Amino acid sequence: MSVLDDFRLDDQVAIVTGAGRGLGRAMALAFADAGAHVVCAARTVAQIDETAALVEQRGRRALSVPTDAADADAFNALAATTMETFGRIDILLNNAGNYATRNTVPLGDLNDDEWQIDMDVNLTSKMYGARAVVPHMAAAGRGSIINLASIYAFAGRKDWYTYFAAKAAVVNFTRSLALSYTDVNIRANAIAPGPFPVSHFADQASVFNPKLAVPRFGQPWEMGPLAVFLASDASAGVNGETIIIDGGGLAGGVTPPTWRPRIALPGGAA
Amino acid sequence: MSDRLADVPTRPDQPFRLNGRAAWVVGAGRPLGHAIANALAEAGADVALTGLGTDQAERFQVASAANQVWSAGRRNLALELDPSDPENLDACVQQIDAEWGRLDILVNAQDLVFAMPFEETGRAEWDTTIAVNLTSVALSCQAAGKLMARDGFGRIINVVSAPGVRGVANMVAYAAAKGGVVALTRALSQEWGAQGIAVNAVHAGFYEDQAGIGDNAQYVEELRSALLPGALVKSQDIAALVVMLAADSGFISGQTIAVDGAASQRT
Repeated sequence: MSVLDDFRLDDQVAIVTGAGRGLGRAMALAFADAGAHVVCAARTVAQIDETAALVEQRGRRALSVPTDAADADAFNALAATTMETFGRIDILLNNAGNYATRNTVPLGDLNDDEWQIDMDVNLTSKMYGARAVVPHMAAAGRGSIINLASIYAFAGRKDWYTYFAAKAAVVNFTRSLALSYTDVNIRANAIAPGPFPVSHFADQASVFNPKLAVPRFGQPWEMGPLAVFLASDASAGVNGETIIIDGGGLAGGVTPPTWRPRIALPGGAA
Repeated sequence: MSDRLADVPTRPDQPFRLNGRAAWVVGAGRPLGHAIANALAEAGADVALTGLGTDQAERFQVASAANQVWSAGRRNLALELDPSDPENLDACVQQIDAEWGRLDILVNAQDLVFAMPFEETGRAEWDTTIAVNLTSVALSCQAAGKLMARDGFGRIINVVSAPGVRGVANMVAYAAAKGGVVALTRALSQEWGAQGIAVNAVHAGFYEDQAGIGDNAQYVEELRSALLPGALVKSQDIAALVVMLAADSGFISGQTIAVDGAASQRT
């Protein structure tokens, strides 16, 4: 028995929302590499079919289930279909999100319908997903739920409200979820990624702050090991936590990491 | 520092494997450091080990941990350390470099628990608590960081605990030291990030074999039943998080990550 065995997901079943592209696909494939079968959920069928094919190339079983993350019934159907097909749900990766219908919108111009859909997709979808899988996990006496938050849960930005509020709420939703099911061995944690440019963030250069302590952007595959850690028994003691993966951005941020003052002690004191 | 972006690491086939890496665990003579050294070796790393003193018992425990690294099929290096002597820490790093030519991973697992009402805390107790839990962490980071910067790669993991991030009565000196490590971790992540060195902390819950806590039946009972859900964790759980951070691609940095069974997450 090696510590590396604790990081394996052999024969487990993972549901991944937003699995058709970007970070969701990268984490779905990391689960498959660690031994899990993967249920790929998202709205765009062609994309989840492609992810499912990549999972199968890794020798695991895959299922693609078209799912609208803003639809509670869709999540219940997703859980039911997974149970019918695999008979178990070990992992839920609540990854689906929409970044925001429009990015910067002054307060007076906020549109109620846009606010609602962005909240539904980025926040409420996490509740729908958890609510759908928890009964099955509780019956099995084990489970790991991983919610996608963001560094934008921990900092604000001018004229940018909805996404920031939704992601901050994901962090605290995760805490309460974690504290609610310790008796049936269901853990809940979140990942808060920083700058990971992916194809559908067309305005990445203007959105992301490149002045990071680790001076580069993240690559989608770098999310994989962290997601596998949180899904697996290696994180048995980690619960309710949000792990930030952002090149050290939030650890700093008051000054750019390139600012290097030298201020001697007064009078040459040592 | 130029505006050039750092190189992007390539995706490893086995993301948690540490084969070919050289690690140094400080505090390896205690159960937590022992568990971490063992886990790093199981993941494939060669492990150098130091205790927190040079007395017979400490040397025996470090030798025992080193033997377990050997049993896992990895190279080990038991180093003697007097943590009050900064030159000793430099000498440790020089010896690791001489033997293995590299130092990729540093884990500071020093943990000297001290609890006393603050008005009864003597200056000598304060000094010892700070020296072992904070100053020795800073000095080992400084010594290892030079070698890591030379090679453009490093993973530093500092173990802290609940009093370092949340208030705990009767632990003012210990809390100041552990909180100091949290701040040191954040600052070093900014200072060394461009040199390929990621610096993180692990916020360990009180753990079962923690000296002063886990060996006190009354405290164990109080922590389990009355105080916090999941407040007592296992050294192995802490070690698994250390392995994850040691193997990470380096984009996680400046963080303090809790392995405390949600104890710090409730109201």
